[in-house]
Amino acid sequence: MYQININYSSIYQAIAFWIMLSIGMILVVKKLGRGDTKLWQYFIPGFRYYRLGSALGIEKDGLVLCILEIVVDVLNYSPYFLSDENVSLILTLFAFAAIVALFIYQLHLILTVRKIFGLSGWWVLVAIFADGLAMIYAGLSKKVQPTEEFFKDEDWQAGTQPVEFEAHGLRHKSGRIPDKGLTVNVRERTVKDFNRKRYLLKDIRLEIPNKSLVLLLGGSGAGKTTLINAITGYEKADADVYLNGTDVYRNYDEVKYRIGFVPQQNLMRMYDTVDHTIKDAADLRLPVSMTHSEKKKKIQEVMEMLGLTAGTDGLVGKKSGGWLRRISIAMELVSDPELFILDEPDSGLDGVIARELFERLRDIADENKIVIAITHTPDRVADLFDKVIVLGRDSGRVGQLCFYGDVDEAKAFFGKDTMEGIVMSINSKDAGGEGRADEFIKKFIEYREKKESGQTEQEAAG
Amino acid sequence: MKGQVRYLGRQGQMWLHLKKLLRMFIYQNDWKVLPMSAVIAAVVTFVVAGNLFYTQEGTLTGSFAIVCVCIWNGFFNSIQSVCRERNIVKREHRAGLHMSSYIGAHMIYQLFLCAAQVGILVGILKLANVSIPASGVVFRSGIVELAFTMLLITYASDMCAIMISSIVRTTTMAMTVMPFLLIFQLVFSGGFFQLGGAAQKITTLTIAKWGLNSIIATGRYNELPMVTLWNTLFKFKDMDIEGHKPILAAIKRMEAEGKVSEFIVWSGTYNQNPAYASSVSNMMLCWGVLILMTFLFAAGSVIALELIDRDKR
Repeated sequence: MYQININYSSIYQAIAFWIMLSIGMILVVKKLGRGDTKLWQYFIPGFRYYRLGSALGIEKDGLVLCILEIVVDVLNYSPYFLSDENVSLILTLFAFAAIVALFIYQLHLILTVRKIFGLSGWWVLVAIFADGLAMIYAGLSKKVQPTEEFFKDEDWQAGTQPVEFEAHGLRHKSGRIPDKGLTVNVRERTVKDFNRKRYLLKDIRLEIPNKSLVLLLGGSGAGKTTLINAITGYEKADADVYLNGTDVYRNYDEVKYRIGFVPQQNLMRMYDTVDHTIKDAADLRLPVSMTHSEKKKKIQEVMEMLGLTAGTDGLVGKKSGGWLRRISIAMELVSDPELFILDEPDSGLDGVIARELFERLRDIADENKIVIAITHTPDRVADLFDKVIVLGRDSGRVGQLCFYGDVDEAKAFFGKDTMEGIVMSINSKDAGGEGRADEFIKKFIEYREKKESGQTEQEAAG
Repeated sequence: MKGQVRYLGRQGQMWLHLKKLLRMFIYQNDWKVLPMSAVIAAVVTFVVAGNLFYTQEGTLTGSFAIVCVCIWNGFFNSIQSVCRERNIVKREHRAGLHMSSYIGAHMIYQLFLCAAQVGILVGILKLANVSIPASGVVFRSGIVELAFTMLLITYASDMCAIMISSIVRTTTMAMTVMPFLLIFQLVFSGGFFQLGGAAQKITTLTIAKWGLNSIIATGRYNELPMVTLWNTLFKFKDMDIEGHKPILAAIKRMEAEGKVSEFIVWSGTYNQNPAYASSVSNMMLCWGVLILMTFLFAAGSVIALELIDRDKR
């Protein structure tokens, strides 16, 4: 019979170190003021790392450590209960690999604690060999205190609590769905970040008529791409989206062919020719009922419209940045989409070429389409837009609607002469802005409420 | 009505993508895998050609080397083929591309590539004058049977690499995973390295085991002579036992009576392995498992890519 040889002294030693680390974790978390009442959780193998990681703002690393500690424990002790030497050997090899990974992640955690408390290199050295002891020191010593930067960094709870504004009666308005144009009512867009619900967007309602060229403005992280993904149905939100009367989410398989989305990056094969790239895109996106000559004509029209005429038999990768943007646009435009969305179509283009590009987008919109574009240099083309959507990040770091309306109306609303000035007014102070997003979100709700009630009165009078 | 509009179906999309892959073969230098496979095959053949299909030991070593070449070729053909264009595929998926069509196109394209590589390998084996069995166990021609097995091994490995390439998100990750996968295949081939207990059971999951078994079976391993015992006796020929050299005397007697060949064939009968049986049922089992693995890997690739929209930005 297989005999289990257990070295009890080493087990007692391991348990002592293990308890020390748990106590150290509790002390550190309490000092940071991010602990909760469930302190017993710091004694659960693996899970204690997850708790600590969450408190330190490195939740993902905490989760990895949690898994690794459990894996290492299981692999370390499993050979005691296995009789097959080959299997034991293989498990030992895996355990070795897991221990190396565990050490690296523990080091990351130690360095994070060092950064938060501004500890010395000596502390790191002690922590490598006796992490429990080093944690207890960090938790108990009055000399060791968290740095101010740590409390400024609110990323660990970003998006968990959106700001609720008083006047929100009209935000969830659901009435008659117009059979023309784009109707968007995003109640919320959330993601499950480990065990926490994080809000990315909240309360965004838009009604965009056909023949509109719309500018989507917002600072970094305001949720522009998230909104676009919610509108197109690529990443569904708690929302109602209707394109010319069709529910986008319910009829996604059909509607996706009516939406063109040009991503920020030039996502196409660099080792294919320009001709084939656009032709293949057309074959994929156009109905099979179209004849070969009709498709050819359509491709020709789009290529001429975007100035893709000479040298189209060359490889995509050999073309300039401007060409690549236009090829990327052509790939979507060839399907004649009703809703055409472009994420920074002018990135990497100089002023003249960018202006030409937006003039072409204006022409597309005039063909009874809706074109929505994100750009970081809006002022050089601001006159071409019909509408502007301004997204801001509220103080809870959730994207909300700051404004939707005409370009001139937007300037008056924000009291700015330029589009870039509008962005600066809503950007956070950390990002060099004025940090007035909350103010404008609230102001716009009231503004819209007044405007819509005024319209209703006019309608009633008319 | 808008709801009745039909777009390019799965078959149409597959041909569309296949044409694209054929263009890539020329423009993206994918053709370079062919001369690379020729170089690898030549190096390996140079080392193992002598005793391949001639003795049991040479057949085992040589067949293992051939399996290594096939798995290496298959992995290298496609380990980066999906992950290098993952974002492009995601864009196309949103525009209506069916992942089954995409993987289907890769399956056809890679089949031709693998067939070309096997053709090169067989050509090099012939050039090296390897004594390939004249007749196969299933096919009339031994060389055709050997080529078919090599194609199945290369193709299954290729599809395994496609699946890995569909799961991982970067080429760096793909190239990190590949060596582990390769070592796993070779260590757990079940023939070359002695494994026991549960480790032996793991071999059932490898392409290498079924490939190795079928190549060895084609080579009629169980009918071949074993030289290990003869060589060992030869090493001990000068051993002195009470003033006599009985092993040397026995060797001399066998040489004088011309019974050396008979002895090594006789010793081979004690080294037979049912897994290497040159029977139709054994061949069918090996090939069947390889084909099943190929389709399972392809299905795994499709499933992995269907989740592509969940990729974080």
